[in-house]
Amino acid sequence: MVSNLILFQISVLLFLGGALLGLLSRNSRFSRHAIFVPSMIGSIFTIMFSIGVITGKPITWMIPNAVPFFDLEIFVDGISAFFLLIIGIVSFAVSLYSIGYSKEYQIEKRTAALGFLFNIFVLSMILVVSSNNAFFFLVFWESMSLTSFFLVIYDHDKEENLKSGMTYLVMTHLGTAFIFASFLLGYIQTGSFSFDSFRHGSAGFPLFVKNLVFIFAFIGFGTKAGMVPLHGWLPKAHPSAPSNISALMSAVMIKIGIYGIIRTIFDFSGFGVSPDFVWWGMLLIVFGSASAIVGVLYAVVERDIKRALAFSSIENIGIILVGLGLSVVFASFQLTAFAVLALVASMYHTINHAVFKGLLFMGAGSVVSATHTKNIEHLGGLVKQMPWTALLFLIGAISISGLPPFNGFVSEWFTMQSLLSSHHIPSTILQISIAFASLPFALTIGIAAATFVKLFGMTFLSKARSKHAIHIKEVSRSMILGMSILAAACVLLGVVPYLGTSLISTAFHLSSQPSSPFDSVSIQNSSGKSFANLSMPVVVIILSSVLVAIFGFIRVLGGNTKKTAYGTWDCGFGGLNERMEYTPTSLSQPIRAVFKVFFKPHNQTEKESFGENPYLLKTVKIETVVKNIFEEMLYAPMVSSFVFFFDKVRRLQTGKINAYLLYIMITLVLLLLFVRLSNNV
Amino acid sequence: MYDIATIVVGIIQVLAMLALAPLLTGIIRKTKARTQKRIGASILQPYYDLLKLVRKDEVISDQTSWIFRACPWVNFAAMATAAFFIPVFLVYTPFGLVGDLLLVVGLFALGRFFTMLAGLDVASSFGGLGSSREMMISALLEPALFLSIFVVAITYGGTNLSTMIEASSNSSFLPHPQIIFAAIGLFIIILGETGRLPFDNPATHLELTMVHETMILEYSGKSLAMMEWSQSIKQIILFTLMVNIFVPWGISSSILFSSLAVGFFMFAGKISLFGIFVAFLESSVAKWRLFRIPDLIAIAIATSMIGIVLCYL
Repeated sequence: MVSNLILFQISVLLFLGGALLGLLSRNSRFSRHAIFVPSMIGSIFTIMFSIGVITGKPITWMIPNAVPFFDLEIFVDGISAFFLLIIGIVSFAVSLYSIGYSKEYQIEKRTAALGFLFNIFVLSMILVVSSNNAFFFLVFWESMSLTSFFLVIYDHDKEENLKSGMTYLVMTHLGTAFIFASFLLGYIQTGSFSFDSFRHGSAGFPLFVKNLVFIFAFIGFGTKAGMVPLHGWLPKAHPSAPSNISALMSAVMIKIGIYGIIRTIFDFSGFGVSPDFVWWGMLLIVFGSASAIVGVLYAVVERDIKRALAFSSIENIGIILVGLGLSVVFASFQLTAFAVLALVASMYHTINHAVFKGLLFMGAGSVVSATHTKNIEHLGGLVKQMPWTALLFLIGAISISGLPPFNGFVSEWFTMQSLLSSHHIPSTILQISIAFASLPFALTIGIAAATFVKLFGMTFLSKARSKHAIHIKEVSRSMILGMSILAAACVLLGVVPYLGTSLISTAFHLSSQPSSPFDSVSIQNSSGKSFANLSMPVVVIILSSVLVAIFGFIRVLGGNTKKTAYGTWDCGFGGLNERMEYTPTSLSQPIRAVFKVFFKPHNQTEKESFGENPYLLKTVKIETVVKNIFEEMLYAPMVSSFVFFFDKVRRLQTGKINAYLLYIMITLVLLLLFVRLSNNV
Repeated sequence: MYDIATIVVGIIQVLAMLALAPLLTGIIRKTKARTQKRIGASILQPYYDLLKLVRKDEVISDQTSWIFRACPWVNFAAMATAAFFIPVFLVYTPFGLVGDLLLVVGLFALGRFFTMLAGLDVASSFGGLGSSREMMISALLEPALFLSIFVVAITYGGTNLSTMIEASSNSSFLPHPQIIFAAIGLFIIILGETGRLPFDNPATHLELTMVHETMILEYSGKSLAMMEWSQSIKQIILFTLMVNIFVPWGISSSILFSSLAVGFFMFAGKISLFGIFVAFLESSVAKWRLFRIPDLIAIAIATSMIGIVLCYL
């Protein structure tokens, strides 16, 4: 039996090897395989050791003074292993997908950079989750951010991508600064950068410091997770990156932010059973439901398939945060059973979102690589030309819309039950606020289904709307295989929730429920009766037996009837064509109109007429624009005030050597004064 | 408690729902005809329609994919599965251990998801129009429905329908104040979910007003029969929920034949009365303009929110 530590080391070496091979095998015929096969094997090892840790003992490994003054400490416990498992599963599927997907990049560009960055990106995510020392955590965190930045601007000949890359770079470093601040507070209190000392010392922090540690970590990790209002980078960066990278970023990287929040709350911040911490949970719930509703509202009006998926990631992060927040609130009132329920809900949604968002981004990538457009206004009718991609994308769409019997339903069911359990909280004002928070949550689920009806329907169904969507081929086998792995996970986690719940409860050391695959999840009310039960395997059995029964019944009742194919009903006028179809913009028009306060939609009309007569029009161009209120009301003023401030600062930089000497002297005098004064005290 | 007899009664309940669903549609149509001074078709007419449709050949649009053909079956399976979890005339449904009210809502959403896709699949502007409107209405109904479920679940201690209806039938004659608000909210939602006036006119074929009909416009033969039947099942499930949660009088709590018979006749009476009431209501209101419908749903949300506040005060 090989120990988990060895498996861990092997997987690290494999990813490093993949990165090196990527650099060495430039432009050879097998360079794609040389890059992605090592990362596939590395992902398998990651899956193996993380399952080993979940079921067995944690990994601890330490290299003292790996960098002067800092020890490289690796510690993988159940929580880390849970996230490592997610990384492993998704990166395995994405690597397999990438073998086929990166073909188009091989022709025009070198795959060397892609392979190097891909492997280092996955490796640094693995190391971030496993490191047990603030210094190395930040080093790996930074390498994760930088590699993903270079991947975002991989298509650097488009100026738009460079812009989104810059936004990403700036915001992610803003987040890193806050994480740094949070760790520094821990260092000041404990005198060590090791997470072990944070863990042991945090209970003794003063309440003020505990709150600060939480707030800084919340802002820092929340930026990485794409929480509203710190989400600005996400809908820009994810669509710019190549689709396999967007899949990794959306499915895995933003979950590292969630990992950070969980670690901080339960390990580093001295959280305990006390009403002092209720507001942490409420903060998570408030920002979670805001993220959910804002994300989904932008997703439903979006025309760019990848950007819509990116907005939907913000929405799902919101749902995860709501579950986490409820768990914190319950835990601070010592309602352990419900805290467990809410934590399971949140973690179940984390793994679900990783699985179906990875699948959907890969599906979108297949569509983009086949049609060369991200705009769903130009697509349509792909189901006949790309049947497998369509089927797999549909599985992802049903899952993310929270419909039974797929996995999204299970985690949303758990979240709804946690919201309903809020009536056990012994505080009326909290009960009512959480009940009101369930309004945006439920609205989110409703609009999410509409979003994916639109995305799937407009991309794959009806007639092609432009020449982009005609005469295209199904994508290569490795891409379909990569997507099928995650689609299978969607179905399995939906039909057998036992898989997910037992995984989470073992990883987080919670009491397990249900106890066997066919057992139902049950929640009891205060009088001991069943509050709710759910047994998905039986639901699926009922669904399929009903289907068979009714098929037979109708066949017997109606006999064999003929089916004739004929044109769609055109009201007898003939000539129904693709220009008469509903477009994505018109499909979401009612929702845009209902939420017009939020969207502030307006039409920009450009007319060109023949000569003088304004009624003889040559062309009319109408564009519906939706305002991004966060960009306009939050980001733009901030950026312009920074620019204003630094314009003033620039005056100090006169370029004359005398002035700089003066500055040095002033600084010296001030420092000497500071030393003198502080010695006096 | 869940022995063979209960399971048998549970399955009989499901079959009764499936079999009686078209009858309820017939009763509503007949009542509407009478209020409009017409004689109207027999209340058995929906059965004749279904029988005729399943024997007819189908014309399928050549633009469509397998999703269009799969939709009627998915829809029917989802609705019929939802019927398993509804206590009809016996409080305990043996399938209460399998799923709850939230699952029923989820199954409805599954059916609607496929119906909307089928509407888009036919590549006509009619289908897109219906799907577009349904997208808006369903997205708004979802939170309203969840909030009214919230009120009922907290008051009666469960989203498990057996627990809920048992607690409701054991509570006093005068209901809790929040339940009245939840009932108002749920009633509005049911009108929306079943596509009744003022949300949608089930009897129209005018593109300005229809929602549900546009999405199923291209269906014929067996597929149309399945779509119509599943719509009736959805209607009877929602009506049953309404009458059994808010007026659970006469529902049987044991599997004795006599009390089951009483339960069944009480159920038949209550649901017909409710159907007649809805029909009268439909005859007296006009269809609302599409963009006024959110106002109506907002009323449902507001009443449910008042209900929540009352729960906790």
